[in-house]
Order: sequence, then C-alpha cells, then structure tokens
Amino acid sequence: MTELLRLEKICKTFPGVVANDHVDLEIKKGEIHALLGENGAGKTTLMNCVYGVYRPNSGKIFWKGQEVEIHQARDAIALGIGMVHQHFMLVPPLTVAENVILGLPTRHEPFLDLASVEEKIFESGQKFHLKVDPKARIWQLPVGIQQRVEILKALYRDAELLILDEPTAVLTPQEVEELFLVLEALTEHGLSIIFITHKLEEVMRSCNRVSVLRDGRRVDTLAIEDTNPQLLAKMMVGREVLLKADKTDLPPGEVVLSVKELSAIGGRGLPAVKNVSFEVRRNEIFGIAGVDGNGQTELGETISGLLRATGGKVTISGKDATNKTPFDILNMGVAVIPPDRQKLGLLMNFAVDENLIAKSYWKPPFSKSIFLRKKEIDKFSEKAIKDFNIRTPGPEIQVKLLSGGNQQKVVIARELSKNPDLLIASQPTRGLDVSATEYVHKQLLAAREAGAAILFISTELEEILSLSDRIGVIYEGEIMGILPGKGANILEIGEMMAGLRRSNTGSEQPKKEAENASEASA
Amino acid sequence: MQAKHQPRKQNLWQAFLEKSFNITIPVVAILAAFAISGLLILGWGSNPIAAYKAIFQGAFGSPNAIATTLTRMTPLVFTGLAVAYGYKAGFFNVGAEGQLYMGALAATWVGVTFTNWPGWLLVIACFLAASLAGAFLALIPAYLKAKRGFNEVLTTLLFNYIVMQFFAWSLRIDHPMAGVDEKWGLVNWFGIKDPTQPYPKSAFVAEQSWLPSVNSFLKTGFINSIFGGTHWYQASLAEPALERITLAPLLAVLGVIIVFVLMFKTTIGFRARAVGVSPDAARAMGINVSKTILVTALISGTLAGLAGAMEILGTQHRVMERFLVDAGFTGIPVALIGQLHPVGAWLSAFFFGALRAGANRMQITTAVPVAMVYVIQALTILFAIAGTTIELVSYFKKSRMTSLSERAEEERLSLENNEVLDA
Repeated sequence: MTELLRLEKICKTFPGVVANDHVDLEIKKGEIHALLGENGAGKTTLMNCVYGVYRPNSGKIFWKGQEVEIHQARDAIALGIGMVHQHFMLVPPLTVAENVILGLPTRHEPFLDLASVEEKIFESGQKFHLKVDPKARIWQLPVGIQQRVEILKALYRDAELLILDEPTAVLTPQEVEELFLVLEALTEHGLSIIFITHKLEEVMRSCNRVSVLRDGRRVDTLAIEDTNPQLLAKMMVGREVLLKADKTDLPPGEVVLSVKELSAIGGRGLPAVKNVSFEVRRNEIFGIAGVDGNGQTELGETISGLLRATGGKVTISGKDATNKTPFDILNMGVAVIPPDRQKLGLLMNFAVDENLIAKSYWKPPFSKSIFLRKKEIDKFSEKAIKDFNIRTPGPEIQVKLLSGGNQQKVVIARELSKNPDLLIASQPTRGLDVSATEYVHKQLLAAREAGAAILFISTELEEILSLSDRIGVIYEGEIMGILPGKGANILEIGEMMAGLRRSNTGSEQPKKEAENASEASA
Repeated sequence: MQAKHQPRKQNLWQAFLEKSFNITIPVVAILAAFAISGLLILGWGSNPIAAYKAIFQGAFGSPNAIATTLTRMTPLVFTGLAVAYGYKAGFFNVGAEGQLYMGALAATWVGVTFTNWPGWLLVIACFLAASLAGAFLALIPAYLKAKRGFNEVLTTLLFNYIVMQFFAWSLRIDHPMAGVDEKWGLVNWFGIKDPTQPYPKSAFVAEQSWLPSVNSFLKTGFINSIFGGTHWYQASLAEPALERITLAPLLAVLGVIIVFVLMFKTTIGFRARAVGVSPDAARAMGINVSKTILVTALISGTLAGLAGAMEILGTQHRVMERFLVDAGFTGIPVALIGQLHPVGAWLSAFFFGALRAGANRMQITTAVPVAMVYVIQALTILFAIAGTTIELVSYFKKSRMTSLSERAEEERLSLENNEVLDA
C-alpha cells in the first residue's frame, strides 16, 4: 500500500496550550486508520489542520509525496480530502441532492441540473452501500442517513481521503454496523479513511491501523493485529481502565417509582411509549436498555412531567404523579439527569453556581421571600464544586465554558446533592470520555447506596450491564422483558433490543415490527 | 507545573474577556460612530471637533444644558429598562413606544380628572395608572406568546399603531372638566382634550402632581433653615436650571436599582433570565414558562408606562401629538448598547440624552444640522450590533475553548495518574 498523506512534526498551539505537539502521522491508500484518544487529546485539532480549518504553527503536510500547504478547507477539498464533522453541515430544508451540490457549479450554469446529481448519488449509493433518496429533504431523514449525505458530499467532490470525526457518536448500533459496511466498501474502491473515535471496540472492529493521541502527542501507531483493547485503553488514558463497576450487594427496599401501563405520544405525533409497566425500588438501579430512538427518552420525559401521558399511571413514593408539572414532580423528591445536558440539563449562559441552584433557588436557604441569598448560594456551590470535583476556575464562570464532563458534573451535583428518592438518569454518559463516564457511574452507585431508586436509561449496553440490578429492555416503546442484572445474558438482551423476543405477550406480531424497524432504518 | 495551570488561567481570561466586552463594545461603538460622523461633518465643510465641542457644551456646558440632558434621558432610561428586562427573559418588547404613550395618557387622565386630590396621592395614582396601562398593553402580546405561540415582536410592534390611533383620537375628544358647562357623555371619559382649547392637546395636569424640582426642594423650610444664609444657597435659588431638574432623574436611578435587584437578586429575575436563556431547560427545571413570560411582560410594560408618566409629571405636564418623539423605540438601542444591563441602559440613555440635548447648540454654532446626532446614534447602534458579532465569533471558537477546558481536565487526570503510579 502506498502512502497517501503524511504529517511531519505538526505543532498547533492555542494561547497557553499546546494542542498538537510534533505529531507525525502517515495514512496509506485504502486503509481505515483510527485516530484514538480521549476528548481533548488533540485529534480533532490535528484533523482540522489537515482540512485547512486551522493552520499548524509548524510542521509539514505531504500529499502523495508532495509537500502541500493547506490554507483553507477549499484547498483540502481540491486535493481530495473530505471531512465529515461531528455536527453535520447540512441545510435541513433542502433535498439531499441540493445539499450535495451546494457550492459547486452544475453542468448547465446558471440552471440547476439536479437530475444528473441525483443519478450520481444513486450510483454512489449502489457502489458504496450508501442508499439515500436524493429527493428527500434533510430534516426528514434520521441522523444516520444524514451522515450518509455528508459522506456522499465528500465523494461527489472526488475525495480520496475521508476524515470522519466521531462518526458513531450520533448513531444507533444498527446504524454503526451499516456505517462500517460503507467504510469497507469505500476502502475496497481505494479510498482511505481517518476514523476519529474514543471507542475501543470500534477500533478493533473495523480499522486497519490505529494511532493513539494523548495530550496532543502521538503515543504510537500500531497495526490492529498487534494490539488489544486493554493495551489501547492504557495508551489512551495512561492507566488501566475500570471496565467493570464495583457494586456492593444491597437488598432492594420499598417501591419508590411505580409505572403502570404508561403510554405517551412522542415528538413526531406517533406513540412513543406503549403500555409500559415496571417498578423501581430503593437501593436499586433499574436499567432501561434499548437501541436509541425506541421511546426510552420519552419514557423518562413522561415520568419527569415533560411529556403528557396519554394513558396509564405513574406513582412516586405512593403519590400519584401522572401528568403533574415538572415542578410538582421535582417536589416529590425526584432528580432528573436529562439526556441532552446542553438543551435541558443546563442553562448554558448561566454561571456554574446559578446552575447548581436552578432547581432549588426558590426555597430556603437560597432565597427568602423573593430575594436570593448570595451567601447561602456561595456556600452551597463552593461545597458542591468541591464535593463533586467540578473543574471550574470559579463558581461564577459561565457553564458553557466548561468541558462536557464538567458540565455533566454540574448537573449531577445539582441533582444528587438533594439526596433524591428517585433519580431518573437518561443517557448520563452520552458524549463523555472514559474518565468522566467512570465518574458518572461512581456517582450513580453512590446514590444507590444512599437509598435512591434509580431509573437508568442508556443505549450503551455495557454500562447497563455493569450497573443495573434489574434490566428492562425497551423496543418500539414497549418493554420486551425484565431481567435480573446479575448474570444477564447479553444475547438474550440483544434479541429483545432487536424486537425478536418478548417474554410476556407473544400474541402480537413481533416479527412484523422487526420488519418495520429494518424498513425504517433502510 | 506552569503549563498545568495555564488552561485554567485561559478559562478565567475568557470569562474576563466576555465580561469586559460588555464595556468595550459600547465604548468602541461610540468612538467609531463619532469618528465616522466626523468624516461626514468634514465633508459638510465644518470642523468636527468644533461640532462635538458644541454638542458637549450643549449637553453639559451649563446648568441649563445639564438640565436638558437629564430631562431628555429620563424617559429613555425607563424604556431602555423595559426593553432590557423583557429581552433578558426572551420577551422582545418592541411595543415600548405604545406602552409609553398609553402610560402618558393614563397619567394625564388621572392628573386632569382628580384635580382636587392631594399631591402625594395624585402622583402615586398617576404612576399607578401609567403602570397599569403599560402593563396591560404588554400583557396581551405576552398572553398570545405564552398560550398561543405568537411572535411577540410582531404583536407588540403592531400594538404601537393601535395605540397611536387611539391616542390621536383621544386627543380630539373633550375630556370632562369641572367648571365647563357641557353635557358629558361616556365617550368623553375616553377623551383627553382640553375642552377650553381648540387644539388637540390635553389640559395641564393638576399642579400638585408635578414632580418637585430641586428648586422647590431648596425652598422647603427645613433646607432654608440650615443653609438659608449662605451665598451658595441664594445663588442656587436664582438658578433657573434647578427649576427644571425634577425628581424624575432620581426616580430613573431608583428604577435602575430596582430593575437590577429584580433581575439579578430575586427569584423572579432568576426565572425570567432562565427562560431567556433556554425555555426548554427552564421548563425541565420546573419553571412555569408561560407564567414567567406573563410576569416579565407585566414588568416590562410597567416600566415603559412609567416612562410616559415621568415625562408628563416631570417635564411636559400635558399630552399633545408627538409630545415625545421615538422615546419608546429608542429604548431598544438603549437596551442593546447597554448590553441589556440596567446600569448599561442608564449609561446609554445618558449618552443618547446628551446627544439630543447638545444637538441644537451644534446646529446653531457650527451649522451642522441636528440630524447629524441621529447619524451618530444610528452609527453607534450599528457598531454596537457589529460588536455583538465579535461575541459570536468567540462563540464559534467555543469548540476550541471546550477543548482547552477539556485539556485542563486531562491535565488533572494525568496528574492523578502519576500519583496513582507513584503510589
């Protein structure tokens, strides 16, 4: 295999910080090259240097053996480098074809020639497993398909090297599988792929070689055959990672949350939660496993009062909590870690201390009649920052300036410092790196030991398995079965997640639903 | 070790920069506006330095000039506060103009109707009426926004035109007046016109409702008994400007303090700002978003209504057509240049007030037309808005910032790891 791209001693500094420190990297033609590292290790910065978003302070870039200067993204695209960012650069009201040719001349300027574009998209789709309806509008498409459009955009511009920035972060496991098929097809046709990730399994699963970055430096580049997940994890974080959580045996206490035949309608006007029933007890973590988008988010929102229940009953500590306001539910001793911390969990423009009291500002000791009491707020937030190890220059720093992990710590500090009876933790580790994830797990276990009942919703099967006392598997808004966490059979859960098996009612047609699911994802 | 602390410093630096932007943006915007306008004045054939000197003289050069500046700025402070408070809570009140007119109308109505009430009661009643009028006017768009999802920018803006028509109509309907022998119908109670005059003007509000001036304060027996003999006292009494400086500018300062406390030190303001930052997050945190919008509109409308009352009770003592030009609309740039901060609103109202106060003198002494101050105003607004895009740029660089703070986290981890390894 010949060399396609070579980086020599790339340095990129931002005021006060070295993001990339003499990084060497070599990409061969036709390989999938993983760029592995924790959040902030300098992976994206390095790739932005290649793509012309940043200019390196020093170092050289060679493209097919020739030294090149890349001043802006346009230069990179002209060379044949394409990049799919974590946040897609698509125009939602436009169609797939329109997005693909955006910014390019068409054959019959000034007239649009969408037909030929659509044809080309169709051809690429056939060739690379990238089936997309060229006439569909972006906003109608699920995230996984939107990502395909981004890839198609790069291919349409004759990319030879495709940089994917954490492509699987937004995908469901099924979509991840499909993405890997696409990547394989692309490399078969001679394209090279740089795959930025912090997920070990994905590296092992699909890449040819892996370069590990830590603190802006390249630790090493290895062929996949010569490595294993433990070794990579150690290189990535510089220590052994605790893959299995330490959990003490606790007998479950009385029932705190009881959900009976709950139904709710989701954002798209379709039933999202169907007839769900379960109970969560004190000292118990009840895990909801399931592929993203199967109603687990809506389930959490319905219980926390953000979404109206259309049927069924929610009881919290013996009191009816069906269709109460979020405020009422909050006052029933319920803490919520929402799935999207930036959208629902935090007031991004507010200071850290204001976010810490955002659910209790109205009661003593934080306020007296209508007046906030600065002293009490300071005292509380300083303690919370210390107790929950929030890395912030001060309590009055806007929370948007913190890293993702520390933002989540603010949410957790707020929710757990009031010793809740019930904690609804919805995707609490989404987008967090290894160490922050570990931190969240520890906090959940601590809350469990403190006597909280925990509803733990996650799409990462691994953490569900390692934390949960009992596991409910959700598929298309229905609970397919409830299993004990200890010794749970992954295969069994996997089948339930795919809608293949249900333990209670076998009479409805699960097979048909499975077909629907595959149609929906196609 | 040095390197390990740098990211945290960086964060503090960023936070400091963001805060200091609040001051640097308006200051730079004002300087830039003066610079560009200076070129225009040069092109006009006049000396910009002389023109600006004239503005300064006209705004601060004499006690009388200062009185004019204070008079001009007072309604702007209140409309600026109205817009700033609303905006902070995600309620962009473009209807301050209409609310101000309604407030002025209501205050005048009370002032010409209950002419036999004692001064203190009448003043309170006038303010109350103005507040209610402004608040009521803001409440309708707020209700439509909270319950029906109407865009408040459209509704508040359009309400201005309704109010203007009502105001113009009201000025042409005789208001019942004691001692005027006529048969008053119900419709007359909606009118404000002075029945003894042929013009579309109201009568003066009862004199006891006029806000006391510094002069009348000096004349009180208490002050007189202390300072009565001093030369300074006599000179002050003779100064006509002190008759024009009333309680209103002081009430404006009080308004700034109250809004500041309300915005930053109370649960009401906390909720309002939370809804302004993100209605979705606020709702998830248990805040009643609809109610917060309604309360915000009440406060914003009250402030705009009070702006009208200040002008009537403090300066003009009666309403007529175009009695106050654009003070409501100017509240928007006042709030924006003031970076939506109550103190900032006061400062920018002060700037706008001074410009307007100095405009005439500029025209008289340097032949540069008064309109030039509107050019300066407009340019300031333009540059201040351009300044907010600087903030936007730093927002786009946020990904970089995040990586910086994440690095800080990483540094900490690697530090901890070393400790683990050492152990």
